[in-house]
Amino acid sequence: MHWRSACVSLFDMLKKSEQENNKEKEEGSLKVYEVGYHIAPAVSAENLPVEVENLKNFLVKEGATIVSEGFPKMLDLSYAVSKSVGGSKRKFDTAYFGWIKFDAGEALIAKIKKFFDENENILRFLLIKTVKENTLFSPVSPKITASPAKEEPKTAKSSTEKEIKSPISQEELDKTIDKLIAE
Amino acid sequence: MKQCFFSQNNINHIDYKDTEILKKFLNPHARIISRKKTCVSAKNQRKLALAVKRARFMALLPYVAR
Repeated sequence: MHWRSACVSLFDMLKKSEQENNKEKEEGSLKVYEVGYHIAPAVSAENLPVEVENLKNFLVKEGATIVSEGFPKMLDLSYAVSKSVGGSKRKFDTAYFGWIKFDAGEALIAKIKKFFDENENILRFLLIKTVKENTLFSPVSPKITASPAKEEPKTAKSSTEKEIKSPISQEELDKTIDKLIAE
Repeated sequence: MKQCFFSQNNINHIDYKDTEILKKFLNPHARIISRKKTCVSAKNQRKLALAVKRARFMALLPYVAR
């Protein structure tokens, strides 16, 4: 009897740990992806927000959460990109390049890939794993963070100068008023 | 001794969209310059190569030039 109860408790323990592992897997499967895409220049600039909204709506509808995005901008491509639409091949030298960063499960990626493949307005796209943080390099940012520290003493000085100046100006004001009255 | 550009500027993730940075590591023929000349660390050179190849696929950088 004693052995049997021990076996049952062990079995329960194993089951619990398995469930925990599965939970962790489900939570851990959410990864940050980024899709960069070229929209054909045939799409007018007015219709561009509608096109982007379509892509975003699809991602949200499928259960992805959008982290950040770069709105499409017209770019000169480094080489002519060809795309076959309805049996005929067309070459493009320019395109609107945009990107969307999103959180999604691994199962969703195949669907997203298919959606982008079937979209006729998208010349080319690249789906990659990435990180949540901003990955674009901005060399100006460290200078900005360094500058306020240098400016602080200046502002402190200016405030003290103002305090010193203010009583003098009041005295001067009084004197001028006195002069005016005397006149 | 020259230091790695990416570790100097605290760049952990090399983005394929950052073409201005990537261009620094290409020669006039648009080939990736060896790390012997650029002094990029081995780890970052691998990341750089991947970013350049992604940028080439997206036509942000050329495969060949001149």
